[in-house]
Amino acid sequence: MGVVTHEASGGTAIAGLGITEMGKVYGRTATDFAVEAITLAAADAGLALSEIDGLLVNPGVKNDTDLRLQSTLQMRDARLLATMQGFGSSAGQMVQYASMAIANGMADVVACVYADAPLTEGKRAGASYGGQKRAMEGVQSLQFAAGLQAAPERYAVAARRHMEAYGTTSEQLGAVAVAARQWASMNPDAQMREPITLADHQESRMIADPLRLLDCCLVSNGAVAIIVTSSDRAEALRQPPVHVWGWGQAHPGYVNRRDSEFGLVTGAAPSGADALAMAGVKVDEIDVRELYDCFTYTTLVTLEDYGFCAKGEGGEFVASGAIAPGGSHPTNTGGGELSSFYMWGMTPLSEAVIQARGQGGERQVDKHDLVMVSGNGGVLDFHSTLVVSPHRKS
Amino acid sequence: MPHSLKAVVRDGHSTTFFEAAAEGRLLLRFSPSSGEWSEPAARVCSVTQAADLEWREASGVGSLVSWTVKPGRATEDRPAVPTVVGLVELEEGPWLPLQLPDVDPADLAVGRAVRVEWVQPEGSEHLPVAVLA
Repeated sequence: MGVVTHEASGGTAIAGLGITEMGKVYGRTATDFAVEAITLAAADAGLALSEIDGLLVNPGVKNDTDLRLQSTLQMRDARLLATMQGFGSSAGQMVQYASMAIANGMADVVACVYADAPLTEGKRAGASYGGQKRAMEGVQSLQFAAGLQAAPERYAVAARRHMEAYGTTSEQLGAVAVAARQWASMNPDAQMREPITLADHQESRMIADPLRLLDCCLVSNGAVAIIVTSSDRAEALRQPPVHVWGWGQAHPGYVNRRDSEFGLVTGAAPSGADALAMAGVKVDEIDVRELYDCFTYTTLVTLEDYGFCAKGEGGEFVASGAIAPGGSHPTNTGGGELSSFYMWGMTPLSEAVIQARGQGGERQVDKHDLVMVSGNGGVLDFHSTLVVSPHRKS
Repeated sequence: MPHSLKAVVRDGHSTTFFEAAAEGRLLLRFSPSSGEWSEPAARVCSVTQAADLEWREASGVGSLVSWTVKPGRATEDRPAVPTVVGLVELEEGPWLPLQLPDVDPADLAVGRAVRVEWVQPEGSEHLPVAVLA
């Protein structure tokens, strides 16, 4: 067992990153992927697996891995161990809880992993996210019975409300998809690298109006793990540390009644403000944005709620080219969930680590001193934010 | 009325709701202490979180907040049939997610007046749908 370095005010950092083969990778379970990702992340950090004394496990839609991953990893004497579930906000949440545990001397090196294997060979990807399969009971099932089942149709209702309130257009949503693909074309690990045009977006199959196929994220098998430790310890390890400057969570608890801001304002607004305040920076100091993009609309509304543009102006903002390569506000620089891979909040978080380290290769953003990362779960129900930096917070 | 709703069966909480539904009456949750209405699934008041909710009959009149149109898939026998699902704000305040059978998507607009009607899928309780008022 290692000696705990108590770091009440020294801060924490992401010291390791492990990404497995991703996408249509069959014949392996979520646990198989999780073990590989943690092993890769430890090696990336220059740590032995035996030095990990905390493990947070976030299973995806299939929910088929959990804290028993500890025994699979032959991991003795863990001092922090839990299955975490905040849906798409989980990755950011895990960094937050790991940081608090480390800052309080509870653990020293915490591995956080997301793993999922929803794709089955020969079956449509949508079948994995098809929603209700059991017989439906009670008034809480009325929305499913009416036809609001899978994520696209539920996000479609949110997007439609935004469009009607602010004049956001399908073409503007398309600009998000095109930008993501432009970034992905420079990412050798992205699943979808073939360039697309706005016309391709407009001609893509309607899934749930206003969302077309190219408004929707991918579905992937795989796992991503990160290693969180104290900033002091991270500085002695193999990779450039990615220091955690600030964080927030906001779960709006939309109530189904007339004052609901569903579709208009998300948890990103308070969560982002909290994270920026904790980091001690202003939104216009952020260099790179890695935003949870389950749908094009989610990118757009998160940009508004974080304050990169005014409420209701997200459509014009993305259509201006601001978020694309060469634009003023580089966003989702690996291609995001739309074009790279779909590992819930680990998709934006892993790209944030790569960019902060300066390891983005062809897609590396020149100025990457502050990176803002979002996680979004449910139908805009759950939100987490991180602000990270290659520099230690002074 | 042609629709594509799926069957729902009652549970303990929804027994009173579905008894009324069979008579064509829409019940919502009402809090006497706050005077506010809540959605049928609510366990406490959606404004004050008071625990005094009771079932009370609502007008069944409301307006459209948002919607989606699912295009459906064509088969060899028939063309694709779109499904329209909307969020309806009842005049008492609560929102209900309701299918709008037989509506032309071109007629949909924020604030469009609708009223609740009822359908009964096979093996199901009576379920609410919305029609343009």
